[in-house]
Amino acid sequence: MKISKEKFGQAFDALVADYKVIAPVSDGSGIAFTEVKSFSDVKQDYLNSKLPPKAFFFPQHEKLMSYKKEGKDVTVKSELKVENTILFGIRPCDAKGMLLLDKVFKNDQYTDPYYYERREKAVIIGLGCTKIAPTCFCSSFEISPAGSEGSDLFLIDLGDSYEVEVVTEKGKALADRLALAELTADEQALVDKIKSAETPSKIDVSNTTSKLDKMFNSPYWDTLQEKCLGCNVCSFSCPTCHCFDISEEVCKNEGTRVRTWDACMAPLFTLHGSGHNPRDNKKARWRQRLMHKFNYFVHNNGSMSCVGCGRCIKSCPVNMDIRQVVDGANKAELVVE
Amino acid sequence: MQQNPYLPITMKLVKNLVETEDRLINTFTLEFMNKQDEENFKYMPGQFAELSAYGHGEAPFGIATSPTEPGILKFSVAKVGCVSNALHLMEEGTMVGVRGPMGNYYPIEQFKGKNVVIIGGGFAFTTLRSLAKYMLDDKHRGDYGDITVIYGARNPGLLLYKEELAEWENNPNINLVTTIDRPAEGWTKHVGFIPSITEQIAPSSVDTYAVVCGPPAMIKFTLPVLEKLNFPPERIYTSLEMRMKCGLGICGRCNIGTEYVCKDGPVFSMAQLKELPNEY
Amino acid sequence: MNNIINDMRDKARQLLAEGKVDVVIGYEKGSLPLKATPFFAHSPAEVDSLIWDETCENNLATYVAKTPGKKAIVAKGCDSRALAVLLQENQLVRDDLYIIGVSCAGVIDQRKIVAEVGEILEAGINDGKISVKGMAGDKEYLFAEVKDATCQTCRYPNPVLEDVHLGETIAVSQEAPAFADVIALEEKSAGERQDYFKEQMSKCIRCYACRNACPLCYCQECFVDCNSPRWLTGGVNRAENLFFQAGRVLHLAGRCVDCGACTRACPQGVDIRALNRKMTKDVYTMYNHEAGISEDGKPALNEYTTSDPEQFLVKE
Ligand SMILES: Cc1cc2nc3c(=O)[nH]c(=O)nc-3n(C[C@H](O)[C@H](O)[C@H](O)COP(=O)(O)OP(=O)(O)OC[C@H]3O[C@@H](n4cnc5c(N)ncnc54)[C@H](O)[C@@H]3O)c2cc1C
Ligand code: SF4
Ligand code: SF4
Ligand code: SF4
Ligand code: SF4
Ligand code: SF4
Ligand code: FES
Repeated sequence: MKISKEKFGQAFDALVADYKVIAPVSDGSGIAFTEVKSFSDVKQDYLNSKLPPKAFFFPQHEKLMSYKKEGKDVTVKSELKVENTILFGIRPCDAKGMLLLDKVFKNDQYTDPYYYERREKAVIIGLGCTKIAPTCFCSSFEISPAGSEGSDLFLIDLGDSYEVEVVTEKGKALADRLALAELTADEQALVDKIKSAETPSKIDVSNTTSKLDKMFNSPYWDTLQEKCLGCNVCSFSCPTCHCFDISEEVCKNEGTRVRTWDACMAPLFTLHGSGHNPRDNKKARWRQRLMHKFNYFVHNNGSMSCVGCGRCIKSCPVNMDIRQVVDGANKAELVVE
Repeated sequence: MQQNPYLPITMKLVKNLVETEDRLINTFTLEFMNKQDEENFKYMPGQFAELSAYGHGEAPFGIATSPTEPGILKFSVAKVGCVSNALHLMEEGTMVGVRGPMGNYYPIEQFKGKNVVIIGGGFAFTTLRSLAKYMLDDKHRGDYGDITVIYGARNPGLLLYKEELAEWENNPNINLVTTIDRPAEGWTKHVGFIPSITEQIAPSSVDTYAVVCGPPAMIKFTLPVLEKLNFPPERIYTSLEMRMKCGLGICGRCNIGTEYVCKDGPVFSMAQLKELPNEY
Repeated sequence: MNNIINDMRDKARQLLAEGKVDVVIGYEKGSLPLKATPFFAHSPAEVDSLIWDETCENNLATYVAKTPGKKAIVAKGCDSRALAVLLQENQLVRDDLYIIGVSCAGVIDQRKIVAEVGEILEAGINDGKISVKGMAGDKEYLFAEVKDATCQTCRYPNPVLEDVHLGETIAVSQEAPAFADVIALEEKSAGERQDYFKEQMSKCIRCYACRNACPLCYCQECFVDCNSPRWLTGGVNRAENLFFQAGRVLHLAGRCVDCGACTRACPQGVDIRALNRKMTKDVYTMYNHEAGISEDGKPALNEYTTSDPEQFLVKE
């Protein structure tokens, strides 16, 4: 099915009344997902955003609760706020990233209400990639640059119109508000061509998890991370990183408890109150990063927690390239213990 | 609907007791404000909770009471930083926040019909007290065989729960061995480090579980002793500490390999730990 | 360039083979076009990866104190100035350090190129010309057109401190430091300046890449990480972000060597340099001090004498 961009734009502008609508916007130094009021503000031709769209469910800085102290008494209030949201223009890698985050924020014992309630009230309109950046390698993870997994409604840009795929019930509810038409044979052929594309850059991850099972004590980690600065860039730019800190912001007798993004690359991340630190060196920290994404997460959740978006590669100040890191692990010799 | 696991319940600090001579450890007694809160807070020995000192933050502490002690929770807290300092300075009657109970607990079902040796060092004795207290309760004592407690500290002033220890001395239901590192005036019981005292006492490993908690060095040297006494790794349990924030297995901070200590632990058997990377 | 690279590899090979150093810190070709990446050669067999060109943008002095053992380091002018400050502040042992000096005509500002041609697919540097194939088009640049802003005002392209010099030195024409960029900002109205910094600071995501890339941000516990007292919250907003950058620039007063590593490291393109440059200018005008231009001397604010005019500072 398809819809002309003009008609889609009209429908989009109508949705703004009922939803908070988030879409890619050019902010001068790159693409950012931002709240928009009109389809004309949306940047249509873009590779992907600088920062991942995870922030709409898991903001970088978020109030969990507030409290007020009076003498010895205290009153506590939840700060959970949820709005009906549409995220437009989510790329397939990021849509998959959200499915992976879902597994984290709802585990075998707990559900994180801040993430989940927002997630449940959000509709994802995915947009297939017709241009592929050199740092994109999502095809390594069985994600297709024009794949609809993770989206509720999925679009492919055909020039003057979008091909529309209804993926979930939520997507159907939105599609009901669109005047859809049939694709012509030529358009169908174009869709098929776009759908069969793969990222030129690809890494082999077929044996990475089992290899890493045996690599905790490998000398590979000794030199791998020497150039890493231990900043937060790779984790903050990653659509699947979920680590956070909880702290308190206090003003006199009132305060809020907030959570903020954090990352395993920071030395303080695991520092005990006693001064002991189980990951007190960069080697242990980079091992954690790779192990978590390509081994621990697989054992716990059945898939790797990298979607090949390439953001960490593009943004790392010292050009740590996760593709090379994985490749190096694939090839590393195993030491006999 | 599931409760918001980030929201603490409010409890009243009814007692702030200086526990050790160096004044670095205080025991806090908290009272539930209503029956509902208490019912929702069903816990077992070995679990922990996140305590909020409003205005300062939140930190995890092992629950020192046993579920057989209704109405209250106790925590023994060492003064090390932001939250623990704030707790130490807190006046009785102040409201504190409590999130929990969190984590797993000592496998008391498996312990049934067996002997249990509890070995604790320093202030890590908190959840071990909970365990001993639970097994000693009239309703449960019959479920277990011999209960031995080996507990040590650097000097007599640093032992926790002194009144209770005195009571256990004379309790036929429990075999208490206390020790201090170096001789001290007026101390008539054991002198020596926990590993060597354990070796001296040599508890039989037949049909017996061992639970060991304490500083890393103590654990490191006690394990070989237990091995020598033929305790298999599946029958040695310990409780781990990691830096924690959420306590829910979400913030990603406390993992050892695939396991999140807050949610999958803090109690692990030595057999389990052998399968995990040595990163704690 | 080729000669410098060969000499660099020879020197590194010799230092490692003779056991004079345990590691040589230099650059190798990165995984992306126009990107070099820091490289640690531990054995003579590895030295052939070393390179030297206009893409060698990281300040390697950042790694020196954190790398154990004896080390050699490839140093441009700005890297060497950072080493000088680190030595002045007793952060390094001179005897453990072998400085392979290279004169630097400047590094490429990738962002300028990407803004014009999109993501870079392929690129080549030839005879001072940079030809780029980008996703949004192809273009050839003269090096001067895409030279990093830092390098355009650099007065110390030649290392101020070195154990060996590779290649030619570069003639420096400027007499006194030029602060046209700072003056331009100073001449703006307070409102305009405020708007500028508001916009810049709202981009910051507090990833601390700037701090971590900076060779002179070496504190064991940075004020942003300290939790008792907590100087600033984890709030990612203009005010908190500015507080962070303002704190950082104050801590670098008289120490910042204007290498630009922080600004280049920033994934969000925050103009950190605007603050640093202003501080650099103020320190220069007030104290006639430039950071790290020789091994002896002390950073301006780390030194006092009893003849300082502000007598309240010194009790006689
Ligand atoms: C399951 C479990 C059970 C526990 N049970 C107990 C118990 O029963 N009793 C007990 O006393 N303890 C227990 N602990 C340990 C206790 O949680 C810590 O001691 C406590 O979290 C310390 O918190 P704090 O806020 O007082 O210290 P913090 O202020 O968090 O830290 C103390 C020290 O670490 C440094 N530090 C920490 N974070 C930072 C940072 N972000 N930046 C810079 N420096 C930092 C500080 O400089 C300070 O010196 C337990 C821990 C776990 C995980
Ligand atoms: S972005 Fe690069 S330098 Fe920063 S922590 Fe990640 S790998 Fe290290
Ligand atoms: S690890 Fe890097 S490439 Fe993979 S999903 Fe995260 S940011 Fe993208
Ligand atoms: S542990 Fe590290 S790699 Fe894993 S989610 Fe957290 S920050 Fe990302
Ligand atoms: S503040 Fe920036 S320009 Fe100054 S020395 Fe540090 S990295 Fe270099
Ligand atoms: S590198 Fe940029 S985004 Fe990161 S903390 Fe520094 S100024 Fe902010
Ligand atoms: S404390 Fe957050 S995952 Fe364990």
